[in-house]
Amino acid sequence: MDDQERADAFYAHVMGGGKVEADDWMPDDYRAAVLKFVEMHANSELMGVLPEREWILRAPTLKRKLALTSKVQDEVGHAQLLYRVAEDLGKPREQMLADLMAGKTKFHNVFHYPTRSWGDVGIIAWLVDAAAIVSQQALRDSSYAPYARTMKKICWEESVHIMHGRDVVLTLMNGTSRQREMVQEALDRWWGPLMQMHGPPTDPATDRDLIWKIKAKGNEQLRQEFLSIYVPRIWELGLTVPDAGLGYDEVEGRWHYTEPDWAELRNVVTGHGPMSQERLEFRRTNHAATQWVRDAVLGAPSAAA
Amino acid sequence: MNDFAHRLPDATREALAELLLAIADDEFVIGFWDSEWTGIAPMLEEDVATSSISQDEIGHARALYELLAELTGQDADEIAFGRRPEAYRHAALMNHPRTDWAFTVARRYLYETADAVRLEALARSSHEPLAQLAAKMRREERYHLMHLDTWLRRLAGSDAARERLAAALRMLWADALAVFSPVPDEELLVRGGELPEPMATLRSRWLEQVSPVLAGLGLPGPTSDDLTVAADDGRTRRTDAFRWLHGEFTMVAASERGATW
Repeated sequence: MDDQERADAFYAHVMGGGKVEADDWMPDDYRAAVLKFVEMHANSELMGVLPEREWILRAPTLKRKLALTSKVQDEVGHAQLLYRVAEDLGKPREQMLADLMAGKTKFHNVFHYPTRSWGDVGIIAWLVDAAAIVSQQALRDSSYAPYARTMKKICWEESVHIMHGRDVVLTLMNGTSRQREMVQEALDRWWGPLMQMHGPPTDPATDRDLIWKIKAKGNEQLRQEFLSIYVPRIWELGLTVPDAGLGYDEVEGRWHYTEPDWAELRNVVTGHGPMSQERLEFRRTNHAATQWVRDAVLGAPSAAA
Repeated sequence: MNDFAHRLPDATREALAELLLAIADDEFVIGFWDSEWTGIAPMLEEDVATSSISQDEIGHARALYELLAELTGQDADEIAFGRRPEAYRHAALMNHPRTDWAFTVARRYLYETADAVRLEALARSSHEPLAQLAAKMRREERYHLMHLDTWLRRLAGSDAARERLAAALRMLWADALAVFSPVPDEELLVRGGELPEPMATLRSRWLEQVSPVLAGLGLPGPTSDDLTVAADDGRTRRTDAFRWLHGEFTMVAASERGATW
C-alpha cells in the first residue's frame, strides 16, 4: 500500500466514524489539523485563566472565594491535560508556550476582553463556559480518541462552573438594583463576543475539521444550540439580551439574530483585541520571572533528605 | 452561642475568641496571598497543587471563623471581610506580599511547620469543637508540609535557588516567630486547657524541630536579634502590603454595603 492508499483508507475510516489513537499511523494533514485544534484549545484554557484570576483576590465571600479559586484551578488543569494531548502529536509543551507568548498561535476571542465588575465573573462562568461546553460536548465524539476522552473529564468540570456562574448571577439578580444593573451591564458587553465565539458559519463541504470529524458539529449549529438552551434562561432571570434582531423562527426552526461582527472576531483573535497584548505580556513577564525555578528544578538533583 | 461556649466564663470566652481569630486570620491571609499564584505558578503541575493548598487554607479559615461566630454570635463572612485592616490578628509573617517563588516557599515552610506544632497542641484542647477541627486540619496540613518540604529540598539543591531561599528566610525569621506571640489573656486558656500549652513552649518546640533541618540544607536559622525581638505587637503590626490586600478583598463587598453576594 503506498502513502496515498494508506491516507485514503485512513480518511475513509475517520469519515465512517472510526477513531484514531496517538500511536496509530495518521497522515500529516490530519496530525497537523488535530494539533492546531487541540493547541488552540489548550492555549485558550491557559489564557482563559487570566480574566477570572483578577477576581480571585476580590471574591466577596468565603464561599465565592473557594468556588472561584477552584474554577480557575480547573482551567489550569484542563490546559495541562490538553497540552499533554497535543504533545503526543509531536510538539513539546515549552514550544507551544513559547509560540503562544510570541503571538504565533491563537486563543479564543472571549479571553481578549477586559473584566470590569463582579458581574463579569458571573457572566463568564455562566455564559462563556456555557458557550464553550456546547462545543466541548460535541468534541467528546472527536475522531481523535485521546482528545475525545479528555473532553469527557473537562465537560464534567465545566458543568460545575456553569452552576457556580448561574448562582453568582442569580444572587446578584435577587439583590439590589445596583447589583442587577451590574449583571445587565456585563451581559451587554459580553453578548457580542459570545455570538462571535463559535465563529462564522462554514461550508460543511470544505471544513476539514468537520469532514475528518475532529469536531462533530459546525459553527452555526453550535451557536443555534447555545441560543436554544440559554436565551430562555437569560430571559427567565429578568435580563435583556442586547440584540433587537434576536428571535426564534418557528417556521424555520432556528434563531434569527443580528449578524455578529466578524471583522471584530478576526481582529481580536489575531492579537488586536482590547487586552490581547496586555495578557500576553503578563504571561511573558511571569514566565520569565519563574524561569529560574524551572532551571533549578529540572537542572539539579534535590538535596539529600 | 452553642453549649460549649455557654459553659465558659466570660473572660475565658473572650480569650478563646482572640485565639481563634489569630489562627483564622493566619490561614485567611496566607490563603489569599498564595492564591495569587493560581494561573501563574512556575509549572502547570505546581499551579494546580498550590491552588489546592491555598483553597485548603481558606477552607480552614472558614471553619475557624464559623467556630468563632458561634462564640460571638456574628457571621463568618462578616468577620472575614468586614473589619478594618488594624483589626486583623494574623502574625507579622503574613504581612508580606507574595514576592517571588523562593519567598513563597520560605514563608510557607515556616508557616506550615509552625502551624503543625500549634495544631498538635490544639488537637488536645479542652474546647471540644476546636480539638475536633484541629484534628481534621492536621490531616490536610500533613500533605502541605510534605509538599513544602519537597520544594525546600529541591530549591536547596541548586546554588542559585538556595541563595534566594536563604535571603527570604533571613528576611522572614523575626516575623515568623510572631506566629507564637502570646494571645491576650493566654494564661486563662492554658489554665482551662483550651490552649493546652503556652505559646512560648510551642515556639521552643518548633525551633527545635525546624532549625536542624534548615541547617542541614545550608539554610539560615534565626539570628539572636530575631529571637529577642519583642513579640508584643507580632499580631497587631500591619503593613502597606496588607492594606493593599485588604483593599482588594473588600473591594466588591464595599461596592454595595449590606448586599448579598
